[in-house]
Amino acid sequence: MTIDKGISKIPALRAEHLGRRYGKAWGLRDCTFDVPAGAVTALVGPNGAGKTTLLEMITGLLRPTEGQVLVFGETSRAETAAALARVGYVAQDHPLYRDFTVADMFRLGRAMNPGWDQQLAAGRMEALGIPLGRKVKRLSGGQRAQVSLSMALAKRAPLLVLDEPVASLDPVARTELMRDVTDVAAATNLTVLISSHVVAELERFCDWLIVLSRGRVQLAGPVGELLAAHRLLTVPRATPDGDLPEAAVHRSDENGRSLVVVRAGPDGPAPPRPGWQDGPVSFEQLVLAYLQRPAAQTTEDNPAPAARRPGPSTKEATR
Amino acid sequence: MIWVSWRQHRGQAAACLALIAVLAVYAIIEGTSMRTAFGNDNLAPCLARSQGTGCETAVGAFMNEFSSEVNIAFWSVALIVPGLIGVLVGGSLIARELEFGTWRLAWSQTVPRARWLAAKLALVTGGLIVVGAAMTAVITWYRAPMDQLTGRLQHNIFDFEGLVPTAYILCAFGFAVLAGLLIRRSIPAMVAAFVPWLAIRLVIEFVFRSHFMTPLTVADLCGPGGPNGPGNCGMGIGFVPQATGRVGDLILSMNGNLITYQPASRFWPFQFIEAGIFVVLTAAALGTAVWLLRRRATWTA
Repeated sequence: MTIDKGISKIPALRAEHLGRRYGKAWGLRDCTFDVPAGAVTALVGPNGAGKTTLLEMITGLLRPTEGQVLVFGETSRAETAAALARVGYVAQDHPLYRDFTVADMFRLGRAMNPGWDQQLAAGRMEALGIPLGRKVKRLSGGQRAQVSLSMALAKRAPLLVLDEPVASLDPVARTELMRDVTDVAAATNLTVLISSHVVAELERFCDWLIVLSRGRVQLAGPVGELLAAHRLLTVPRATPDGDLPEAAVHRSDENGRSLVVVRAGPDGPAPPRPGWQDGPVSFEQLVLAYLQRPAAQTTEDNPAPAARRPGPSTKEATR
Repeated sequence: MIWVSWRQHRGQAAACLALIAVLAVYAIIEGTSMRTAFGNDNLAPCLARSQGTGCETAVGAFMNEFSSEVNIAFWSVALIVPGLIGVLVGGSLIARELEFGTWRLAWSQTVPRARWLAAKLALVTGGLIVVGAAMTAVITWYRAPMDQLTGRLQHNIFDFEGLVPTAYILCAFGFAVLAGLLIRRSIPAMVAAFVPWLAIRLVIEFVFRSHFMTPLTVADLCGPGGPNGPGNCGMGIGFVPQATGRVGDLILSMNGNLITYQPASRFWPFQFIEAGIFVVLTAAALGTAVWLLRRRATWTA
């Protein structure tokens, strides 16, 4: 898990004040972040948070209403083949032509992508035991996901974007697919962006994190840094919000106690008061804290917002 | 893209081929007996000699035997089939991708979507031209003996031959492609394209076609008020206007002794004009579709 990689280089992916409006409502607004080359990034957010909107603007399928996406320093637009060639995309639900065979899908890939790597695609099918002659409609969900992933990989694009790749898969297939993606990424220095509304397990595969909620980026950065920059306080349930440190991000109440995620100051964690426990925050706690932060706390473009007291508590979400 | 287009449309190509085959079998069976009767009745020499005068009985018998079949069998089919072929192929071309979400796959490959569409349209249009030309050839061969008696400028004859059937197919196709892009669902797009196509098709046939070129006029010598009077002119055959005496001249109106008509020799100019109108409509619809696909920023909303 490298933290500093890419700082001196052009970011693999840069969003600059990116926004997309649907009619009068903004699906995504003022989205700004950098992802370095080689990072495997988890884009986490509830359904409807704007994840697909963001990914489609990265792939060039959707045009931004404002701002822009730079992929390896070049603007991402559908109009040019060069922009399309930079991004491999696995869309949600793995769309494939139902009456095509797997071999047909790969032939389409070869016909439509100059950099197509047939050996990679066919080799993955052989390793997975998916017959090339089988029609897409006869494949299981997991197999379809693998065909889609193989097509995106065989395109040989330096940036791979996956929209909810595991949402429809069972836990075994889910883990296998994620491991496949990260193995290939590590072996070929691929930059990967994976959206998911399932937080569990992401920590094992991703070294970069973007939390998206209500059309805004709530948190973005390298996982290790983000975890180091937050602490989890366990305080008595009766503690009023006003007594919590200003750096509190989110409070969730449990039986008899409250868990409060706080940002650690530059001098380390704030000294706990009597009766408070101070400990490291887990990946899942960190993500949920930013997802559940009340809307009022979302500031314009600062993913780690200025000092504000947490609003009304919410129950710990069960996922 | 050639292979991709072929792979996606080969089912439709096979269906069109089957349709042409059925049509050809029917045309060969019926057309052969029509040709035999035409030869046996010595109609060709009679027409060459006198435009049918003197062999009215033979012509009448021949027409009785074959004209009803030709008209009824082909009229409804020939009116609707080009439109059906066009909308069935065109309606799904973009709408299917939008319905099944495969646009995300198709448009995230290394081919810009406008080029993707232009390539598909070029290839499918080419295929439809082949289909239209083949169907027209079969019908024209089948109708050849009948055409010698009727000419080719009449309604329900003009529409099956020459260039216009292919142009009708292309126009329905173009409308359906555009409707599919706007409506995003195949079946509604097919209906939405077929209705205006049929309306334009019928309006052009019945309102505008007879005025494509300035009609000619001729004095009717055999009319009731004419110098020769009706009695002194031969009966002739039904499709030879007595005023002009030529097979296939299309009478538009009779005003006293003055007859307004379009001469049979204008078949090809009229074909070019009418086919040209439909080709322009096709080009406008397809051009708009490519432009819209390039310009529109969203498909998810």
